Order: sequence, then structure tokens, then C-alpha cells
Amino acid sequence: MKHLKGLNRKARRIDDIVTSMGRPPSEQSMGGDDIVALQNQTQQRPHIPMGCALAFSPGWEVDSAGGTAGLCQPVERDIYDCYVTCFWPAQVPDHLNNYPDWAGKCATATKDWRNLDLVFP
Amino acid sequence: MKQLIAWFAFSCVSASAGTLFMGAYPNLLLVIDEDKGKVIDQIKLETGLPVNIRLSHDKKLLYIFTNDRSGFEVMDVATHKVLSHFVLNDATHRFRLQGAAPDPEGKLLYTTTTEFTKLVDRYEVGKAKYTIIDVAQQKITKTVEQPPEEPATPGAPGGAGGGGFRGGGFEVSPDGKYLYQFGSNVLVLKAEDFSEVEKIALERPEDPSMRELGLSIPQESLSDPNQRVSIFNYSDPIVHNRVFGLATFDLNKRRFDFKPIGPAPQSMAGMRISPDKKEAFTVITNGVGGNKRCEFWALDMGTSKITRTAEVPCRSRFTFGMSTNGKKLYLYGASFDIEVYDAKTFKLEATWDLGHDATMAGMIAIP
Repeated sequence: MKHLKGLNRKARRIDDIVTSMGRPPSEQSMGGDDIVALQNQTQQRPHIPMGCALAFSPGWEVDSAGGTAGLCQPVERDIYDCYVTCFWPAQVPDHLNNYPDWAGKCATATKDWRNLDLVFP
Repeated sequence: MKQLIAWFAFSCVSASAGTLFMGAYPNLLLVIDEDKGKVIDQIKLETGLPVNIRLSHDKKLLYIFTNDRSGFEVMDVATHKVLSHFVLNDATHRFRLQGAAPDPEGKLLYTTTTEFTKLVDRYEVGKAKYTIIDVAQQKITKTVEQPPEEPATPGAPGGAGGGGFRGGGFEVSPDGKYLYQFGSNVLVLKAEDFSEVEKIALERPEDPSMRELGLSIPQESLSDPNQRVSIFNYSDPIVHNRVFGLATFDLNKRRFDFKPIGPAPQSMAGMRISPDKKEAFTVITNGVGGNKRCEFWALDMGTSKITRTAEVPCRSRFTFGMSTNGKKLYLYGASFDIEVYDAKTFKLEATWDLGHDATMAGMIAIP
């Protein structure tokens, strides 16, 4: 949980409570921080829910680093592969279960996105 | 007479141009002439969206796997005609397929399936099973439950060679007796009963946005049927320094020949070997997000050394391919076009507009 940062007062209070509950002895002796030796370490990545989004809240799509710079440009380039397999969380219907024909009239999402079907969950 | 000779020479050049087969939205298989750089045929698939394409061992048939209803289509490469098609789903059963490969005779397809059964009040999700599909009977003929320690999807989600995202990197040995599942490990299975023969551990890649990692599979039509040569990642257990190299995997003897080359970049987009097997190409990536930088690398297959590099403005997500004659390099995927680069100079030559977004079924290049 060390890579999560509280953004509001409630979250910070929770963080304080968890901290006050005490850390494992191994963390206390090290001040709670990771010790980085002369070794290659995998960078901590954000936790991103897998699968198609369950709620409509456009704008929250992020890349694997937690930012937006790594997203396809424009985003319509990537919209279909999110739709087909729900490989990456995005505001698209799911192809496998509920909306197999969503892209049936749209060959190129970047150019023809207006032809995408309307979805009413 | 000179005109006749010139016409004959032109015909030979034209005949040497390769053909690319790619899956496209919403339910098409695109046929692209490499010489013209244009889509010359669009084959409508009755069973839906293509997500995986595999070439038969004799290179005469394409097996196309579609997503909508877990469908299969068999297409003749020469005539572009779909010979047969069928679906596995019915009113109460759905299947999720992960990885598929034809046997040497083209009669069976080996894959992994997860079955969803619609009950009165719920869906029951089955366990992942190794599965054999009989092409002639158009149905599943055998399933074996996958061991629980094996993930349904191999660590690297996809292999090259038509594997696509859902490809899973299944390969069948030339004699048809063994299956190889390429992912975070190379799992060797007996084809008749899926019993495990051997497991070879590989280093897991760091970048989740890259698909062709671990031990990726070269383009099927160019590869030696008895071996796979690919990029291999290695990490020592103490300092965890990551090294990459060229790994040759003998499909008959199940042995690796590993030649380390140097420090591994953050990720590598698989490898393509030229038809004369003297040179190999890859695209490496360092950094993520806005700091992402990509380079073409050319490797000498004889000395296993990097011979040329050049920075390339790569896409956020892409797949790396090569022309049938080894003179052009392709970057495609997550788009409706193919960027064509010269394999000698690494300069952008052209961008081919396909008119349809490509699926993650990959690209099959046939000379």
C-alpha cells in the first residue's frame, strides 16, 4: 500500500490510523522504506482494475505507468482492442458478452467513430 | 524479343512479391500485396471478428479463430476461399479460447478453453482445459483439465506468428507428438494426452504493454519447421541483471542453444529473421509513457552481435513484422495502417492505409 497516497482528509486519517497500528518489526528497524541495493528492481506499478469499465466515468483511463502519456494517440486507435477482449480498462462496451455488434458499422474507429453503435447499459 | 524479356523479368519480380494476411474489424481478413502496398482482397468471415490466425504446416491453409461465438474458419491461401467454418458456442455454452495451433496434418487444432455454461439462474464458469478440436467433425473431441499451477494464459499474453493477443504461443512439434506452450515458461506437453514432459523457466518481461516477449515465435512462413530462433531474456538470481540473447530452440530435441548478447533493454518487440537467416531485426523500447523511446536493432546471426541501430518514432502500442523478402520492416497494430521501413537504412518508406483497423490477430506473411 506504500504506493497509494491519500488525497483527502479521510484518506489521510485512514493512513494515520494504519500507521499508528504499528509496522512489522522488519519495517520498523528500517524506517519503513525499502532498501535499494546494487540490483535492478522492478518499478512499482499502479494497480489498475482489469476488464471493461463497469461505470461510465470518462477520462479516467490511464496507461501502465498510471499516467496518460502512454495511451494511444488519438485514443480511438486503441478503442477496439479494449472493446474486444477488455484487455485494458476503458469506457467501452464489452464485445464478448453483451455488445458483439457495437463496431459492426465502423471499420476505422479513428475516422468513423460516429458510426459506432449507441449503447444503453 | 527485348520486350518479351523485359516482360518476363517484370513478371518474375511481380511474382516474388509476398502476400500479407491480417485480421481486421469488424469481421474481415485483409489480403495485402506487399509490392503494391495495397489491400487486394477482403474476405468476410461468417463467424465474426478474427483474433488469431495460424498457418498450416504445409503453408496452404489459414486457420482463423474468431471471437464472437468462438468460431473457426479454414481458408485456402491460394484462392482466398473459406473452405469451412463452424462455431463452438451454442445457446447455453460459451467458450473462451487461448492459444491454438494446427497439427502437422491439419486435422486437429490444439488450444486451451474455458467453458461457460448458462444455467437457470447463473453462469457456471469451468476450469481451463487443454482442448483438441477436430476440424472435420467441427467439434471438441478431447479435453484435459489444466493443472492448477498453470495459468490459463501464459505469462506473456501472446506469441508472434499469428498468435495475436490470444495466441498464447502454442506450437506443435514437426512429428506431431509434442506441444510447446510459449509464455513465461516453455511448457512441453505430450500431444496425445497433454501430460507434462518438461518445463523450462524464462524471465518474465517487465513492460505489460508489450505482447511479443519471453520466447517469441518468428514469422511462421519464414521459420525453420524444426526450430525456433528468438530473443531470450535472462536474469541472474543474485543481482538480477537482465541480459538478452538469441535462443535457438530445437522442436525435435527440446534443447536450447543460448547466446547472450548484452544488457537487456526494458522490452523487445519479438524478433524477425531475414529469409537468408543471416540477419535478424527487433524493436527495443526503453522508458514508459512520455519517456518511451524505441530503436530498431539489426543483429548478425553469425556473430550474434548488434550491427545497426536507429531510433524510430514508435507508437504507444504496436506489433513488429517483416516483409517476406526481409527488405522491409513493418510496424502495425492499434491502427488502420502499416508503417513500412527500409530494413537497411531504417528509414520510413511508406504508410499503407488498410481502410480497416487491424485486430490483434497478427500478420501472416507468405512469399
